[in-house]
Amino acid sequence: MQTLSTDVLVIGGGATGTGCALDLAMRGIRCILVEKGDITHGTTGRYHGLLHSGGRYVTKDPQSATECAHENAILRRIMPHCIEQTSGFFVITPWDDESYGDVFVTNCHRTGVPVQEISVAEMLRREPALNPRISRVFEVHDGSADSFLATHSVALAAREYGAEIRTYHNVVELVRVGDRVVGAIVEDLRSGERIRIDCTYVLNAAGAWAGKIAAMAGVTVTVVPGKGTMVAMNHRMVNTVVNRCKLPSDGDIIVPIHTVAVIGTTDVHVPDPDVFGIEPEEIQFMLDEGEKLIPGFRQYRALRAWAGVRPLYKDKDVASDRDIPRTFKLLDHEERDGVSGILSIVGGKWTTYRLMAEQTVNELARRLGNTQPCRTASEVLPVPRFEHRAHAMVTVSPDPAAQTPHYWLGKPLALVESEHAAGDLICECELVTRDRIIAAIDAGAHNLDDIRRDVRMGMGPCQGGWCIYRTANLLYERRCADGLSHTHANEAMLHFLQERWKGLTPVLWGDQLRQARLDELIYAGVLGIHRLRALAEPGGGLVTQHPAIATEYVQA
Amino acid sequence: MYDTIVIGAGLSGMLAAIGRAERGEKVLVLAKGHGATHWSTGCIDLLADVDDPLAGIAQLAIQRPHHPYALAGPAMIEQGIARVRTIGEAADYPFAGNLNRNLLLPTALGALRPTAFAPATMIAGDARQLRDGRPTLIAGFAELRDFFPPLIAANLRAQGIAAEAAQLALPPTQRQHDFSSVTLARLCEQPAFRANLGEQLAAHVRKGGYARIGLPAILGLRHATAVVRDLQNRAGALIFEIPTLPVSVAGMRLYQILEDELLRLGGRIQLGGFVQRAEHIGDTLVAVFSEAAAREQRHTARHWVLATGGILGGGVRATPEGYLYETALALPLQTPDGRAGWFAPRFLDEHGHPVFQSGVRVDQRLRPLDAAGRLVYENVQVVGGALAGYDPIREGCLEGAAIATGWAAGQA
Repeated sequence: MQTLSTDVLVIGGGATGTGCALDLAMRGIRCILVEKGDITHGTTGRYHGLLHSGGRYVTKDPQSATECAHENAILRRIMPHCIEQTSGFFVITPWDDESYGDVFVTNCHRTGVPVQEISVAEMLRREPALNPRISRVFEVHDGSADSFLATHSVALAAREYGAEIRTYHNVVELVRVGDRVVGAIVEDLRSGERIRIDCTYVLNAAGAWAGKIAAMAGVTVTVVPGKGTMVAMNHRMVNTVVNRCKLPSDGDIIVPIHTVAVIGTTDVHVPDPDVFGIEPEEIQFMLDEGEKLIPGFRQYRALRAWAGVRPLYKDKDVASDRDIPRTFKLLDHEERDGVSGILSIVGGKWTTYRLMAEQTVNELARRLGNTQPCRTASEVLPVPRFEHRAHAMVTVSPDPAAQTPHYWLGKPLALVESEHAAGDLICECELVTRDRIIAAIDAGAHNLDDIRRDVRMGMGPCQGGWCIYRTANLLYERRCADGLSHTHANEAMLHFLQERWKGLTPVLWGDQLRQARLDELIYAGVLGIHRLRALAEPGGGLVTQHPAIATEYVQA
Repeated sequence: MYDTIVIGAGLSGMLAAIGRAERGEKVLVLAKGHGATHWSTGCIDLLADVDDPLAGIAQLAIQRPHHPYALAGPAMIEQGIARVRTIGEAADYPFAGNLNRNLLLPTALGALRPTAFAPATMIAGDARQLRDGRPTLIAGFAELRDFFPPLIAANLRAQGIAAEAAQLALPPTQRQHDFSSVTLARLCEQPAFRANLGEQLAAHVRKGGYARIGLPAILGLRHATAVVRDLQNRAGALIFEIPTLPVSVAGMRLYQILEDELLRLGGRIQLGGFVQRAEHIGDTLVAVFSEAAAREQRHTARHWVLATGGILGGGVRATPEGYLYETALALPLQTPDGRAGWFAPRFLDEHGHPVFQSGVRVDQRLRPLDAAGRLVYENVQVVGGALAGYDPIREGCLEGAAIATGWAAGQA
């Protein structure tokens, strides 16, 4: 067995783990990060994309609110290419308690969350689709963030500073000598090979899976996997994040992000972060709640539904899972459980990932005798290559309209029209060009789902009807010289079709049901892909079938 | 007042309209837009995964007496297909194939797809011929994003066919953008474009000794047979087309020859008319109202054919609450019980998804029935994808069932 050695082994390639790896590397601490799937495979890649102002937590969780407000300003500075400055409204609808408005403002002031009341007329001028029966509106610094791109940018920076990031590496065992954790055995899911990684500290940043990792060290961490279901709608009916001004509950927020608007979320305790379903009632409930904010909400086309699992840490008895504080906690297992060599970072949310990393690495650095200060709040993150050109367009376009902070679909379209033949448009829904897909393949994407997370291929209304075929062929043509065979290309398509299907069934009605049938005509009818099943197998670096990463939604 | 109004311009509706127009009726095809024909392969699938489609259909009719094939009967299947073939012959777009033996034609992924009849432009791709050991070239254009020769060739090789792949250089054109399959099809009808293409193909044949060349189905829109004939002469090898992703040029051609035939017979076609409600006296349908250009138009006829398709065609729609309805006449539907039973967990489940078998239940004369089996309209017939109880895509009978039921409604 190959043996590697490092100072810190970070487990988990979500926002937190990746952020920790960058912070460690910037301070000159050697680290290896292992993630069982792709970067953002877990909860980070499955949230609505809200950059919190802190407003949602001002009453129930004031510490989180303050942290969010602070981090919000930092993230806008260090990752401008990932954040759309949408602004955010907290609105009081006829279904909400009028008196909460004043409480909300007071608590915003108390927690340092910038807020300003605006008139309903002003709100309707800016967002005409909102319910005119809304009585009060408070504007906050919400934004929307591309968590895929952000985490890739952090990972890229971490690598530049010398961190080693290994995706599709699953921890199978933590190695304990007496009461000390001294390393881990990990399996490379692409090759099946096992590697031993010796380290001074293991950092458990596995989010909703942190309890499973901790158990390997023989300690108990109670993570309540809180499932949050979201629905992407095929329109940006608002360009501003809209929250109900009330205590957080289900279906009370709409986040415009890229080409869609996401309504979220539910909060349902699930026993296992790998096994959960999306109930039709959850979807119907959110559509009903959407109607209260935007009359006619149900008439928009729902594109897909998905669920992420919140890594809520439960350290004492709390009444309901939504009452568990959203703030994070660093657990020292030596002090807590008598097992040294391992720390767990649990709880928290995407907006505060950097702060979580800073505090965690402060503690690790102190123990390792490293005195370098944290610099993650001041260094601007690099832009991954597959985003270079799309991003350049945002800042260098001579067209003043292209300079608006809002994501504007016209930007990539203008790029396509000025520089590409339209035949280069591989995913027409999300305007993803051939060169961006090839850049993602060259950057190491292993399967079509990885490419989707990189460039949004397959996330539009057709849900991959055309681009799955095109992208799989590009993957094959690009990598067949490295040994990717036709059986792998066939498997890549079959796998991605099934991945998309999971998110589709809860929202299939109207045009989207018709679209699913058209996709069935394309793949089962015109292409006859099911006839190639005997000619499909995982391999060639594709990681499509492994129990460690197969999240199967339970059919409702 | 028309004798017959056919609602829907897909394959089943066009066949019904042609049948009725041929008998001297005054016929209107009223449709929201073109049907699913434009998305399909342009071949005529009768029944997949059987060696002998006609025998398979006979067996199916016994096992499933409510299947559209059972309702239409074997005579209508044979006559309907014979009629389509006659129309094809007259339009220099002949179909080749056999009722008793499926062809196996390569798809744009290199799978081998069974179908009963294919346009002559595709027929040289039949796998039984391809397996004769002589080399086949699969060629396309890098600019066409709906056709990738290398994977097609690799999958064909894995199935015992000596196939190789090549990219052709796009002959010089005025156009800079958007080389869709339809654009390329139009370009192929220009002699200079074709001559350049022919030279490139001939060079490949000289170098690789190919007996056949598979190209994307973009070889002409209105004169495909002539285009293929010309390219074969220039290349010195047999040429076959492979259907591409929608929009399908081969599907458009099939629609076009039917439209030409209907117009020749004096029928009319009105697209852009979305039928949304009906007027009836007892069990007689009197009129329908179509939404078009922001106003409602009233259409009257003595006889009606509903050919709006199923969920794919838009004739059946679902609400977010899990309720399915028929869009034109609000006919009762036969659907799975409850949304929970709509889908299989696997997208490519071999039995398909029960929701896609939703449709209108009919009597032996294809007239709509309600849940209790009572006749809803005595002067309406339902054909094609709008019928309940079958999955045209997964059973591989999309065109066959449409032609059989459409032709049956054209005769009654």
